[in-house]
Amino acid sequence: MNEDLLLEIKNLTVSIQKKNESIPIVKGIDMDLPNGQIVGLVGESGCGKSMTAKSINGILPSVAKVTGGSILWHDSKDKVTDLVTLKEKDLRKRCGQDIAMIFQEPMTSLNPMMRIGDQIREVLRIHKLEKSPSQSREQIIKMLESVGIENPSLRYNSWPHELSGGMRQRVMIAMAMISSPKLLIADEATTALDVTTQAQILKLMKSMCTKSSMSALVITHNMGVVSAICDYVYVMYLGTVMEQAKVSELFSNPLHPYTRGLLSSIPKLSGNPEYLKTIPGNIPVVNKKFPGCEFCIRCSEDVQKCFFENPPLKQVGEDHFVRCHTVSL
Amino acid sequence: MDNSVLLSASHLKKKYRIDRKNSIFAVNDVSLDIFTGETLALVGESGCGKSTLSKILMQIIKPDEGTVSFEGKEISSLSERALRPYISRMQMVFQDPASSLDPRMKIRDIIAEPLKAFKIYGTQAEMNERILELTDMVELKEDCLNRYPHEFSGGQKQRIGIARAIAASPKLLVCDESVSALDVCVQAQILNLLKRLKNQLGLTCLFISHDLSVVSFIADRVCVMKNGAICELAPAEKIYSAPEHEYTKYLLASVYCP
Ligand SMILES: Nc1ncnc2c1ncn2[C@@H]1O[C@H](COP(=O)(O)OP(=O)(O)OP(=O)(O)O)[C@@H](O)[C@H]1O
Ligand SMILES: Nc1ncnc2c1ncn2[C@@H]1O[C@H](COP(=O)(O)OP(=O)(O)OP(=O)(O)O)[C@@H](O)[C@H]1O
Ligand SMILES: [Mg+2]
Ligand SMILES: [Mg+2]
Repeated sequence: MNEDLLLEIKNLTVSIQKKNESIPIVKGIDMDLPNGQIVGLVGESGCGKSMTAKSINGILPSVAKVTGGSILWHDSKDKVTDLVTLKEKDLRKRCGQDIAMIFQEPMTSLNPMMRIGDQIREVLRIHKLEKSPSQSREQIIKMLESVGIENPSLRYNSWPHELSGGMRQRVMIAMAMISSPKLLIADEATTALDVTTQAQILKLMKSMCTKSSMSALVITHNMGVVSAICDYVYVMYLGTVMEQAKVSELFSNPLHPYTRGLLSSIPKLSGNPEYLKTIPGNIPVVNKKFPGCEFCIRCSEDVQKCFFENPPLKQVGEDHFVRCHTVSL
Repeated sequence: MDNSVLLSASHLKKKYRIDRKNSIFAVNDVSLDIFTGETLALVGESGCGKSTLSKILMQIIKPDEGTVSFEGKEISSLSERALRPYISRMQMVFQDPASSLDPRMKIRDIIAEPLKAFKIYGTQAEMNERILELTDMVELKEDCLNRYPHEFSGGQKQRIGIARAIAASPKLLVCDESVSALDVCVQAQILNLLKRLKNQLGLTCLFISHDLSVVSFIADRVCVMKNGAICELAPAEKIYSAPEHEYTKYLLASVYCP
């Protein structure tokens, strides 16, 4: 899709290890993160979005393991490192330098014993970006301001427990952005924020991508967020990519029944139907190997083939791929 | 929607201290009417006082000033005992389905809680019948009744919370960010359920949310709050097509739509 790649995920499989079983929850996905672009990853709760993200910087929970595929970091045109095979120490170092992640649960990731300004300064120190104390302080205050914290110079000295949930989330975002990472992974980073703050933070992310050529992987189930800042988007269902396309293409021409279901589930600002069109049922429990399309039991299309043959990911247009038997070229 | 006022708030105020010197008005001189059968949405930025206002309306916290009337009777000055019959007619669905259900209780007992608390059914058989009816209304299967909350998904937990809230046949249902924590698919299912219940049971609903698209789907009227005060209250079509207050315009302009 783009020669100028920062990260390339190839056939990645992540499995949960149980007693003598290994249950795949991310099932061989391919994903490209180009330099300076924002890639969205969407899908229902439990489809494996966070697991995909966590395998990039090697912070999978102990029960989960990468069991196949590679995650290639493009250091330069002709130097590529596979993060999956890196030693833990080397991976830590690289992630610390180049990858910042904003988590789904911000409350648990701030140190309750440290003033927030000092916590952000710690990030600068680790990345050896510290300037003189007063310059650092100024830089931190500016960062706090740009994530929408009022009275940033007063807030510099606040303890985490003195901030509301939304403010703590913004501190996390400030910590992630201040080191100017090459890759920002934002896992539901703005979901808990109200619309005005969310808009402000999305703008900030976007401008960091254009100005300092940061790449970002934005995980969300908010399609509004995707349409606002992403360049490209992957739609995931039960650990598999079902559709991928440029954002404008995906919204104007969604082809997979799952994508169309997702889009019709979202209420709009005006012209809503009396009842929303929903995807029936829930995500099924991960079961034994099923030969057909994983979505077929909830699908609105009724095609025999789907029950016994898993469709391949087909290219249907420029940079537009779909995994569905009902979509023809 | 008929024109009788179910709940009426008059000049409510509630102040909170933030430190020794400063305090803020979480609710600052709010007056509003909620009509029988309507869904009134409360929107506004985080911290603007939505939850505080709803708790005052439900008599969970006392205002510093102002009064609340329910079906024409002032209830804000009633004793706890005199208030009981009114409380059973106002129920709440919470934001976090997980933490609002007692993990040690079976689903049957969770749904039965208000039925017991307000002594609504005489015999066990009548109560069981009602529980089955409620289970059916929120589209859960009968066999869920003997299971525990942790065995259910977020969306299912929220259905259980809704069943509990409507068990005592309340007049007013307050939903405080009840769908915010759910993913789009489950959110759509729960929104449809709430709308269907409202139509079926003639429920009046106070719907608190910071998601203006969700509000557009469900609300008849919208009340926009800022810094503890109402800045605009109008029918939903009017708010979305011709907002008057600058702040309403600003909120709407901040929404991203696909
Ligand atoms: N610690 C764990 N032990 C066992 N299974 C887990 C664990 N963490 C996650 N899973 C399972 O792995 C699957 C993928 O989870 P993941 O957290 O990646 O989902 P997600 O797409 O990020 O969902 P959400 O939108 O809810 O955050 C889920 O089915 C989940 O139940
Ligand atoms: N018990 C309390 N003690 C002190 N201050 C409080 C208390 N409860 C609420 N506040 C303050 O009152 C204001 C309004 O809070 P409230 O919870 O009503 O806001 P909200 O509109 O529901 O916000 P959100 O969308 O974040 O839930 C906030 O500034 C909050 O910090
Ligand atoms: Mg997740
Ligand atoms: Mg609230």
